[in-house]
Amino acid sequence: MSTGSLNNYIQTVERMYRLFEGEELSRLLSLRDSHVANKNLRSSDIASLVEGNCVAPLDEVIICHLLCVKALHEKGYLEAYSHQSQCVVAIVKILQNQKEQNWCLPLMYTVCLELRLVAQKAEALTAQSDGKILEKAAESLLSCFRVCAADNRTSDEDTKRLGMLYLVNQLLKVYFRINKLHLCKPLIRAIDSSPLWHQFPLAQQITYRYFVGRKAMFDSEYSAADDFLSFAFLKCHRRSHKNKRLILTYLIPVKMLLGYMPTEDLLEKYDLLQFLDLISVVKNGDLRGIDRIMEEHESFFISAGIYLIVEKLKIIAYRNLFRKVYLVENNHQIDIASFQAALQMMGQEDVDSDETQCIVANLIFQGKIKGYISYQHKKVVVSKQNAFPPLSSL
Amino acid sequence: MSNTRDLNETPLHKNNNIVNEICTKGICMEMCPSEEVILRVKEKMVHVLELTRSGHKLVKCYCRSAANSNMAVPQLLRPFRVLSDTVHYLLLEISNRSNIKMSVMYDFLDDRLRAVRQDMTIQRLPPEECVVLLEPMIRFYIYYGYRLCDHPISEFDPVLNKKYLLECMKWFLNCCDVLQNTDKVEDDVDTILTHFNSLDISKTRPELSCDRILVESLYILCNLDSIHPLYRYLCLPNYLKRVSALKLAYNIAIANIKCNFIKIFKLSRKLCPLTFSALCLHHPMIQRRALQAMSFAYNSQYLTVPVEVLKQWLAFNSYEEARSTCMHYGLKVVKEKHGVCFNKHTFKVDVEQHQLTKYYQAKVLQLKLEDVLSYTV
Repeated sequence: MSTGSLNNYIQTVERMYRLFEGEELSRLLSLRDSHVANKNLRSSDIASLVEGNCVAPLDEVIICHLLCVKALHEKGYLEAYSHQSQCVVAIVKILQNQKEQNWCLPLMYTVCLELRLVAQKAEALTAQSDGKILEKAAESLLSCFRVCAADNRTSDEDTKRLGMLYLVNQLLKVYFRINKLHLCKPLIRAIDSSPLWHQFPLAQQITYRYFVGRKAMFDSEYSAADDFLSFAFLKCHRRSHKNKRLILTYLIPVKMLLGYMPTEDLLEKYDLLQFLDLISVVKNGDLRGIDRIMEEHESFFISAGIYLIVEKLKIIAYRNLFRKVYLVENNHQIDIASFQAALQMMGQEDVDSDETQCIVANLIFQGKIKGYISYQHKKVVVSKQNAFPPLSSL
Repeated sequence: MSNTRDLNETPLHKNNNIVNEICTKGICMEMCPSEEVILRVKEKMVHVLELTRSGHKLVKCYCRSAANSNMAVPQLLRPFRVLSDTVHYLLLEISNRSNIKMSVMYDFLDDRLRAVRQDMTIQRLPPEECVVLLEPMIRFYIYYGYRLCDHPISEFDPVLNKKYLLECMKWFLNCCDVLQNTDKVEDDVDTILTHFNSLDISKTRPELSCDRILVESLYILCNLDSIHPLYRYLCLPNYLKRVSALKLAYNIAIANIKCNFIKIFKLSRKLCPLTFSALCLHHPMIQRRALQAMSFAYNSQYLTVPVEVLKQWLAFNSYEEARSTCMHYGLKVVKEKHGVCFNKHTFKVDVEQHQLTKYYQAKVLQLKLEDVLSYTV
């Protein structure tokens, strides 16, 4: 389909609009389609050329879209952003006017996705913006979300509520980027209480689970995080290597905290060998080793946002170290001093008897050691059976 | 691209507009606009702390922005210099008045400081001015937050205090980030040079204001229940992260995540008076969690842990305080042995957290406000 002259282009867009061709329409109004290279569409006076040349709400969309294209060519990202957000305003109008039909959703998806992308670009190039542009973009996305969520009288096939998950995913991406995780809560509630879950496309379900899993991880809800991220990983398309790797970045430390260690093959396949050394030091209770690896891969762990989870893996390392002491002593009464000596050997020189007791006490409280401490005798008495239950059984 | 320029000049804390309009500049050269002086004297609304031997010296009150009222009037707004003088006058002179109830003093200072912040917001002061004004306010809220912590709610509201404190801290840190970024943009060549020089650590450490370290530390310690301050810390540039006072605050927070109460209290001895008092506000939370863990770990029908040990481990003031806290959570104290009999079944999970008691070792309790305003960490 050629989009030669400006008039040609307008006519094509209008025809697709009249034919209810949502997909085709979204392509014609996408910033990532080949038509953006067409110089004819970058006239200096787009507004007056388009206006009145096309049916009413659609002309606004076209004007905003072409102005945005023009701004992008001139590298005016902030200006591009403001045109694209006007485009979303126009789309909201269209959606509101179209009762009991949802063929326009693909157009909304494209425009919203690209709004976020333009916002990100503008954000990156505007010093000191500090997330303000993305925050504004989130408000625009929310205006679409409200229209979709409110459409609850239409039948399940035609309801705009089917567009909710796509928007929520875009919003989650924004909120994660600007570090405003508390804003995710109402969105998650809206999706979790929606009866349409199984009607949402699988790809969207996966994205959603990925973000909700990450959020659960930040909130220290590890078994929920495990469920969500595992869903995302298992259902993710096998060719989406990059996405699978991204999911694993979070799933692996969560699994490790829960007592499951990944295989070397897996780490190799997804180029996540940073975890390989970590696994062996955690297994061995090598606290000095953990510190070394945390330092070595500091920027990877921090930028992925898993540094604190890795820090928490030290608790698992304590458990493994103490288990070794227990196996060596081969006795169910172990001196606190033995544990303390083990900690000191592992580089924790400043740990005294009190702190050793404190560490053991927390492990007992968490069920990772079965037994009790006798303060008077400075001994840990562990259960004769299953003193160190497998972590995966907790 | 005029839009971009506007954005750069926007103080970012409370501004939702991407494109910013021109902001009002204050021209009121007194601590209180004359309109307000006339009105308040006439209506007999002069605070006791505003009376002086020679008459009165008023400071602009905080006033809620209501619909219809225009706050952006230059005559009513004080420029930076005057605001700075006002903060000095309030925190260094007024705070020295004796014979005034501490909670009355706090209410007065809090109200007038809020008015200062309001003027700052309306005029959109640049970040380098904001930090100067906010830093002493943060110290003020921390100081009184602990001094008044056991006062009845009618005299002191800890929740509101925390709210204003957080507001100031976030604003301050936001300004720091902005300043840090501007530096980067302005001297691109310099940054590259620093990268080269950074091989020699001794030479390149940028000058840093100790005060930022204090606020960064307080931000971590005031929010032990949240991990966001820790992520903030992790993303700070290395020259800040490595400062020992800040690293100490981070290590305490990490010990807290791991429930290592022994380490928390051991490390806390190195804290400065203000950071120490910020941590002290979390004592009940830390003690409760520790007692719960211990009631599983030391669970026994016969064995006990001496109350004295508990007192030392969990930073209780006295034997009696340790004992009553244990009783509060349903733990038995065996008199003959002076020991606590921990039992995981009797530990009461559903009782309310015990009341905060001031910890006598908190130096803030012996210091005057002015003592904590100027020291650096």
